[in-house]
Amino acid sequence: MSEEKQVKVHVDKVNKSYGDNHVLRDISLDVMANEVVVMIGPSGSGKSTFLRMLNQLEMPNSGLVEVDGYDISDPKTDINKVRENIGMVFQNFNLFNNYTVLQNITLAPVQLGKMTKEEADKRGKELLATVGLSDKADKSVNSLSGGQKQRVAIARALAMDPDIMLFDEPTSALDPEMVGDVLDVMKDLAKSGMTMIIVTHEMGFAKQVADRVVFFESGKIQESGTPEEVFNAPKNERLQTFLSKVMQA
Amino acid sequence: MKKVLMTLVTAVAAFLAFGVASQKPASASEPHYIIATDATYAPFDFQDKNNKYVGIDQDILATIAKREGFTYELKPMSFNAATQAVASDQADGVIAGMSITDARRQVFDFSTPYYRSGIGWATAKDSKIKSLSDLKGKTVALKTGTAGAQYAESIQSKYGFKITYFSDSDTSYRDVINGNTAATFGDLPVLQYAVKNGTELKVQNPKDPFNAGDYGFAVKKGANAALLAAFDKGFAAIKKDGTYDKIVNKYLDAKASTFTGSASDNNSVFGILRSNSSAFWTGLKETLYLTIVGIILATIWGLLLGVMGVAKSKFLRGLSTTIIYIFRGMPMMVLAFFIYIGLPGVIGVKIPAFTAGVLTLILNEGAYTGAFVRGGFNSVDGGQMEAARSLGLSHSKAMRKVIIPQGLKLMIPSFINQFIITLKDTSILSAIGILELTQTGTLIVTRNSQGFRVWAIIAVIYLIVITLLTWLSNWVEKRTRA
Repeated sequence: MSEEKQVKVHVDKVNKSYGDNHVLRDISLDVMANEVVVMIGPSGSGKSTFLRMLNQLEMPNSGLVEVDGYDISDPKTDINKVRENIGMVFQNFNLFNNYTVLQNITLAPVQLGKMTKEEADKRGKELLATVGLSDKADKSVNSLSGGQKQRVAIARALAMDPDIMLFDEPTSALDPEMVGDVLDVMKDLAKSGMTMIIVTHEMGFAKQVADRVVFFESGKIQESGTPEEVFNAPKNERLQTFLSKVMQA
Repeated sequence: MKKVLMTLVTAVAAFLAFGVASQKPASASEPHYIIATDATYAPFDFQDKNNKYVGIDQDILATIAKREGFTYELKPMSFNAATQAVASDQADGVIAGMSITDARRQVFDFSTPYYRSGIGWATAKDSKIKSLSDLKGKTVALKTGTAGAQYAESIQSKYGFKITYFSDSDTSYRDVINGNTAATFGDLPVLQYAVKNGTELKVQNPKDPFNAGDYGFAVKKGANAALLAAFDKGFAAIKKDGTYDKIVNKYLDAKASTFTGSASDNNSVFGILRSNSSAFWTGLKETLYLTIVGIILATIWGLLLGVMGVAKSKFLRGLSTTIIYIFRGMPMMVLAFFIYIGLPGVIGVKIPAFTAGVLTLILNEGAYTGAFVRGGFNSVDGGQMEAARSLGLSHSKAMRKVIIPQGLKLMIPSFINQFIITLKDTSILSAIGILELTQTGTLIVTRNSQGFRVWAIIAVIYLIVITLLTWLSNWVEKRTRA
């Protein structure tokens, strides 16, 4: 029973198709509290779809998805409540264009009654300091660089004080020189004990930060294990091919 | 933002309430009627230089009303609309130089004939056409729905001419004078009066009108018997005591200037402006009033349609799509006629022309607004919604806080465009007799035959107002940017 409590995400035999395109096939995966899981795999392998299913941005056709003990594969579950505890960071940042940097961070906590305006402003400024952007609080989001935008997006997700953070290719849309800043923020977050599920193509980062690496291919989890197991002794043939291609580049 | 909206809504509500309240002046004891007329029909029905409705019909009606003790509100509109307004209970009676025909007797009850008339035909002054047979292959200009038009239609195949229709007499005369058409048919006294007042036409049959017949005052068949009886009683009395002859002679022997102002006033733009300044001003005010009320209400309705168009519920989205489809696809004039003339016959309630006009604007302009509002919301990047939902905001909160503010900003140019279109579209409402700027122009032209100058003045007024509206919109746009 005490072990059960540690399970933050429980996915059992999940399937998802778009028409004839079978994107996820019988996927099962458990993520424990404080665990950092990195998902790798070629484009179109289903890893982003899987991630988006963990906060119901996608609905599975069959199977069970439990997050924080809530069955979110059941449409009757109040998803808004569950989402308050799940932070999501997108490839394209998706900062709200009609608000300043600080307002982006304070919108949800204030609107959802988690904090007063003053508390949210204070917390927002702390978070901006954490991601190294204190001086940008009152700037419009369109004046920021991509790397700055992504750090604001992380701060925005953290403002709701989530138990779990989901990252959907957070560095893929960034110029190379911006990637480091964002990864540093994520590393600090991992050190603080946050439960994180990350889709990325940054293999070095995966090696450094992941407790577990999961390899997706053709809508299936082909292999999973510690970074050493996956990167140094891959058993699956497709994983070997994938790694050889990625490492060459 | 919210405060501004509330203030506007309150203002509109106050405007509308005022409009309704100021509509019924009738005293309790005397019966009160709504009488439709066509004020482009001199010498029977027209506006004089003081914008008063005068003419043989109007003087007879006013005299009889006074004698018989009833009051009435006059509703000038096109001849066709006037007869339909009575047929659909929007008005109680019509007096508009209306010939008594068997076909009309099916729908109307007529008074004692009050004027004997007949059909005349006229050509341009220097025309080579001398007889009806010369019209073969030519085109004649007719005013829709008149006895003259009916007569011309009946002899069309015999003489082999083509027909083009206009909704007022003056435009059809102009068309003949300009050489676009070869001849026009109309009631003989009307043609003669126009010629006497300087319209450069030549009446071809001044001595022997075709289809000689009578004018009558009409009510809907089977309705308003008391009004009809009062008219007949009063008419018999004024015929007997000589008042009737005085009225007829007053108009048929008069010079143009008696009613239209001095010739010098009509020969310059400034003269026309000066002698008609109060008419222009009244018309402009009505246009502005329609525009402001129309813009505000159509914008509210359009925003509602747009928000429904991006709602979560399939039903609301379908409803929005259907409403937009119907009212965007319907010509505005059809909608105006439907509401003003069609609807009251079914629901049994009179709809004042102004209310019908505003309703038309709301439904038509609101549909266009709804379409671009929906489009504006849809063009906000989908990631914005996903990010808002991922934070735990509900769909409606995400719409209100993230999508709608961004969408509205994208829509500002479309709104400005729609405001200008609304202003211009108010001119279409002249068809149901609303005395706005365009209808004012029609009435002034009927009186002074200065089509070019009057329409130029009207066009410039519209341009000035549109320029001011554009400036105002751009100023508001800049303020919202800041």
